[in-house]
Formats: sequence, structure tokens, C-alpha cells
Amino acid sequence: MIKVEKRNNVSRSIYFLTPVLAIFLTLFGGGIIFFILGFNPIEALKFFFITPISDLYGLSELLVKATPLCLIAIGLSFCFKSNNWNIGAEGQLIFGGIVGGGVALIFYNHDGFYVLPIIILSGAIGGMLFAMIPAILKTYFNTNEILVSLMLVYVAKLLLDYLVVGPWSNPEGFNFPETRQFSEPARMPILFDGLRIHAGIFITLITVFLSWIILYKTYLGFQIKVSGLSLKTAKYAGFKGKTMIIIVFMISGACAGLAGVGEITGPIGQLHRNISPDYGFTAIIVAFLGRLNPIGIIFASLIVALTYLGAETAQIFLQVPKYTGQVFQGMILFFLLGSDYLLFFKIKFLGLKKNEL
Amino acid sequence: MNTKLKVSEISKIYPGCIANDKVSLEFGSGKIYALLGENGAGKSTLVKILSGVVKPDEGEVFLNNESIKLNSPLDAKKNNIGMVFQHFNLFETLSVFENLSIDSDKKDEELRALVNDILKKYNFKIDLDIPVLNLSAGQKQKVEIIRCLIRNPKVLIMDEPTSVLTEQETDDLFISLKQFSKDGILIIYITHKLKEVLSLCDEVAVMRKGKVVSVSNTIDEKIESLANKMVGENLNTIKKKINNFKNSEEILKISNLNFKSDDPYETNLNNLNLSLKKGECLGIAGISGNGQNELFQILSGEIIIEGTSIMFRNKEIAKLNPRERREYLMAFSPEDRISQAAVPELKIYENVALNNFKSSNFFEKGLVNEKKIKEHSKKILSNFSVNTDNVELKSQFLSGGNLQKLIIGRELITSPELLVCFNPTWGLDVGAINYIHETLIQINEQGKSSILISTDNDELLKLSDRICVIYKGKLSKIMNADTVTAEKLGILMGGGSID
Repeated sequence: MIKVEKRNNVSRSIYFLTPVLAIFLTLFGGGIIFFILGFNPIEALKFFFITPISDLYGLSELLVKATPLCLIAIGLSFCFKSNNWNIGAEGQLIFGGIVGGGVALIFYNHDGFYVLPIIILSGAIGGMLFAMIPAILKTYFNTNEILVSLMLVYVAKLLLDYLVVGPWSNPEGFNFPETRQFSEPARMPILFDGLRIHAGIFITLITVFLSWIILYKTYLGFQIKVSGLSLKTAKYAGFKGKTMIIIVFMISGACAGLAGVGEITGPIGQLHRNISPDYGFTAIIVAFLGRLNPIGIIFASLIVALTYLGAETAQIFLQVPKYTGQVFQGMILFFLLGSDYLLFFKIKFLGLKKNEL
Repeated sequence: MNTKLKVSEISKIYPGCIANDKVSLEFGSGKIYALLGENGAGKSTLVKILSGVVKPDEGEVFLNNESIKLNSPLDAKKNNIGMVFQHFNLFETLSVFENLSIDSDKKDEELRALVNDILKKYNFKIDLDIPVLNLSAGQKQKVEIIRCLIRNPKVLIMDEPTSVLTEQETDDLFISLKQFSKDGILIIYITHKLKEVLSLCDEVAVMRKGKVVSVSNTIDEKIESLANKMVGENLNTIKKKINNFKNSEEILKISNLNFKSDDPYETNLNNLNLSLKKGECLGIAGISGNGQNELFQILSGEIIIEGTSIMFRNKEIAKLNPRERREYLMAFSPEDRISQAAVPELKIYENVALNNFKSSNFFEKGLVNEKKIKEHSKKILSNFSVNTDNVELKSQFLSGGNLQKLIIGRELITSPELLVCFNPTWGLDVGAINYIHETLIQINEQGKSSILISTDNDELLKLSDRICVIYKGKLSKIMNADTVTAEKLGILMGGGSID
């Protein structure tokens, strides 16, 4: 018979192995789904996970998708580690995009090395300010940050809709819901000719490095860690709880804003209705799959980015809708939460005992 | 209908503590029984066994001479044992009737008729169709009682029912309980309030440290005699030399402090006054839940009350948070070792860094100075004889005693002028207790002051220079420790008054 026992303490290896287990279970579950749909599961999984990255262009696309995911997830890890549930990164991304895009339109046909940095900075500030709304409401009016940050996503989406249809729409654009293409000095430099990978990846890598330092080497990081483990202890140690909530939301919002501005000045080059394929929501999965650890998040972002690419290839070769990607993302989160059970319990296989038969 | 309930040789052992040690008691219907004891005396464990929440290691329960198995709360219900817990288990947003019907398998009309009968019979005035959140604490308790009455209980157990009630509601409750008793329901009433025992109950069983120490008729008892039994007279004679601090410098003064909480389970503090001299230990006794938690948090700065005054060494500190108070050389050791004073998942040196103050230089320009924290931690581990020298060890691997030594060490190594500690030896073994007690005596000898909030009277009498009792958020007058006896403390703790 099988016996479930509580673990006395969580070992570090189990802590980082369960995400790997979750990925394998996802592949297995995906295989079953493809089988039910009438495909050869091995072939289908190959189309989904191997074909997309079997050439240089594919690898570049992988990094293009992973860049915003990693950046947002890093920001979210600050919130999640300190028990603040910011799930409105999508809104902060869009608002950062709006502010950055607005500044890019102001600099339309303007030359100068300073144009891009100003746009990037304003995008970060936009996301940051937008994230401060749930933070301030939480600290001063006791609202629930989950609801507020989530609802603000729709506010940002509708605002973007209004702007690209109305005041900011391209005067020569035949009423398409989009702005002008940004001019060249306002675009992220492309790293290699013919590939879409852009300088935004450096912003992401620098952010990962900085957040590692903040989380593990500073007083702020220490306070975040303690607050996440025990709010009572944080209060007893005299940490300024309210200030900290606002700071983690600001960091998180700034990262999402940066991701937004990276998208519109990078691969997209203008504002339109769909500047993000739900990167802000998917990044929540990335953050947890990466165990809220900066290095873990890098790997997680690559894996989750692959589900975006896989969905596109599967759409072309297998004629399944690209929303299969979301199915895989959902499965990753599902199996991750499921295998977290192993963190706290261990399963023992015992021989059958006679009297139990 | 006669009901007899008997517990026989019940034992329950938790790691490091014998909660029930061969407890045998007999109850019969028509009487109200009091189960009296301090916190940790084993009352709650016994009651949990009777209501099926906890399984005993040994012993049996007999209902009408038949042995019954109580493996779950459902079994208790099947055997007609009803229980009203101290904290209510009601859905606040559902109506009274919905709350009652969740638990019942009767049809709605049938149930409503039954409930109306009960309301009429016992003269309860409750609107069945308003949400529970609109009810007062007393009314909520009545809903809980009705929930038990629906099932025609033979036994009704009430766990400290008056802790959330007003005086008027308490009187009402007593009238109802006496009526239930007349109707043949056996009532077991758990309390630590002596007056209630005398005014309500027929028989009283006193528990201390897991054992039943006396069973008697309440007619034969007085507040003093019950207090003696509850607290016990086996006092340690090793006592600190009590000093006279009349001419010493005053280091802490609180006057007219009031605290009103929004949380009904917290205790309000009324008109609190205290002062403390240099080198003195002030003991604050009381049964837990009488405002000790709130008082500790007010002293530490976790609760900040607008418009009060707390003077510490002639400086106003009322508005400062715990970290800022530490800069003024205060130190705090909370009751809850594993989720407040320290975090088990953190390493020893990280837990040491929780007591961060300017001169420690643990964090320079916002960066962690790991080397400094580790050096400092090593010093604490050796000075306070914690049985490890590995500062990288996660604190969850320390025993309770060693963790407490680490916490006390962390608080004391900065040579604070005042240490506030709350149940510092709770749950520790004798060796660790002695070590902590010696340390606390030592700091007074060095001219440092301490406030000891404790539910352990032996400890208070051993360490304090002056003692007072907190009861329902009010402090008794502060007495010199050499004039205080365990009996006096017991009376004050149970809400009585002396001279």
C-alpha cells in the first residue's frame, strides 16, 4: 500500500526538482491531448517543442519572447516573495507601453541618441505609477490588491483601445486602429541582421543581475524575505511595512513597464490593440516555475516562451488553434501546484500487509 | 432521562508535555460541572477528547455505562454530546437559519418549527433571517447553543463561554444554562474565572499540570480555596533578593493608557498606569487572554496608539516603531518564538539580523554586512551557551530552549536598559528554564530593568521585585513581591479583589 507522510523539512533539491517534474508531466499530458485529437503524440510534441528552435531564426524568436516574460516575472518575484499579490502586470505592461509610445510619438521624426533612453525610462515610470495604484489603495485603504491590480488591466486595455482608435491613430492610416510607425531613433537596435532579437535582452539581463543583488545582498531584500515568511516577525522587527509594499509594487510595475516599452520599440514598432499576447499573466506562471529565484526565472522564461512558439508551429503544421499554447501554460501551472504537494509530503511505497487485504 | 458521563484514566501526551495524566471524572445529569484550571492545565485537551477532536493515547469514555469511541466530531454528535467553542464557528454572511440548516438533515419547515419552539421555550430573542454578522457576541453564542439543542443533546460542553460576553449577556447565559440543567442536560463548564464557578456550578473539578487535583461541591468552596487549588502552593523557594528601588531613577512611565481594538477577540486595555525603576523587575501576572498580548505589543511598538504618552528614560517614545525603540536601548522577547521572535526557515545569523539597530552596522548603505552579522551571531551563540556554533544552521533545527537562548541573547547582547519579555520559558525543559531565569536575574543585578509578563506564577514570584495582575485589560495595584502570595495572585487572576 501507499503511505503519505509529512516531511519534516523541505530539502533544497526537491524545491528545484519539482518544477522539472511539472514540465515532464506537462509533456506527458500534452502527449495525451494530442493523441486524443488524433495525432501521433511524439510527432506532435516534436512540432511543438523541437521544430520551433531548430534554426537560428527560431532561437532568436525564443529569446524575443523570453525577454519580456523574464523581465516581468523578475519584477513579480519581488511582490510574491513579500506576500503581495500583484496579478496586474499585464495592465502595467500596457500602461508602460502607452506612456513610452506616447513619448515616442512626441519624438516622431526627431533625431538624437537620447530619444530611445527617454522613451524606455518613461515606459518604466508609466508601469511603476500604474502599479502604485493598487499599492497605495492597499496600504492606506485596506483594499485587496489582487482585485484592484486585476481590474486595472482592463482599464489599461480600454485606454489603449481608445488612444489607438482616437487621438493617437495614424493620420495616414486609413482608420486602422494603430499609431504611426515609430521613427528609427526610437526603435530598439536589432542585434543581428535578419533576426528580430533586439537590445531589450540586455535590459532584461541587467535587471536579473540587479534583482539578484537586491534580493540577496541588501536590507530591502532581507525585509522582503522576512515579510514573506512571517508578517508578524516583520512587524516585530520594526520594518516599515507600508513603505515596503509600495516599493515592491514600484519595482514590479517598472519591470512590466520596461517589458511593454521593449515590445513596442522592439518587434512591434508602433502602438496597436494587441501589444502583448498576455505576457503579463503568463509571467505569473514563469515566476512560480522559476521558484521566484532570478536564475530559475531565466530558465522558466525560456521554457514558457517555447510554448508560444510551439503553438504557432503547431497551428501551421497540425492545424490546431494557437491557443494550444495557453493549454500548455495552464498545464505547467497545474502540475507545478500539484507537485508542490511533494514539498510537504513524501510518498512511501510499502509492501501489502495481509491483514489489510 | 438520566445521563451519566464518565472518563476513565484518560492520558494524552504531546511531545514534551503531558496534557492529560490519567484523568478520571464522573458526571451526572441535573448538575452543572465546572472544570477549572490555568492555561495549560489540560482542560482544553480533555474537552477536545470529549468532542472527538483529539484522540486520547489511553483511557476510555463511558456514556451511560457504555464505552463509546470518539474518533471524530461526528461521533460526538451521534452520541448526543454538544460543544460550544470559545471562538464561534458561524458563517458571518449567511442568515441565522441558514447557519442552522447547514448542520441539520431536517426539512426546512420542520427545522424552523423546532427552532421556534426552542426560542420560545428558553426565551431567546433572535431574528432567524438576518445575517449572523449583524448579531452581538451574545446572540452568536445563542445561535451556537441552538445548533446543539436541535440535536437533543445529553451533554453540553461550554468552553470559556463568557470571554467574549458583556456582564448582562453573561447573566442571561447563566439563566439559560440553569434551565438546560433542569431539563436534564448534563452541563460541563470550562473556565478559569472563580466567581463564575461559585455562582453557576454545583460541582467543581480543578486541574493542574494535566492532573485532576480536586473534585468538590462548590458550596464547600470559597474563592480563596479554589485559587489555591488552581495555582498550587508548591512554590520554589529560590527567590531573587528583593531590593528597594524607592530612590532609584525612574526609567519607564506610562500613564492613563487606553487601547480599544476593532477585533472582538482582542482585549481592550483600560486606564493603564505603570512605572519602572532602574534595575527593577516588574512582573505582570494573569491568565492569558486578559490583555497581555496587547500590552506587550504596546510596549514593543507593534501597536502604536495615537495621543498617549510612554516616557522611557525621559524621552517620549510612544510614536516609535520597534526598531526605533531599540535605538533607545529597549529590547523585546515575544511569547511566540517560532512565528514572531524568530523565523524557523531563516538561518541563525539571519534571525540575529532581525534585531537591527544603528550601531550594529549590520546593514551599511542598505547592503547586508554578512561578515559582521555572522561575527555578532557567533558571539551570541557562545555567550548564551546555545548548543551549536554553526551560524548557517536553519533555526528550525534548534530545540525550543536553544532557540529561546538565541532570542534572549540577541536581545541582551546590545546591553539594553529595559527588556520586556512575555512568557520567556513557555514550553521549555527545566535546564533551559533555569538558564533563562538566571540570565534575567543577572541583568537586574547589572542595573538593567525588565518587565516580565508571564502566566507562570512560580516564575513571577521568583524573579519579580514588584508584581501586579492583569485582568480583563485592567492592571491591579502594583504590590511589592515579598507581600504577594500565590493565593493572592490566584484571587486577582480570577477576577476577585483583595483587601
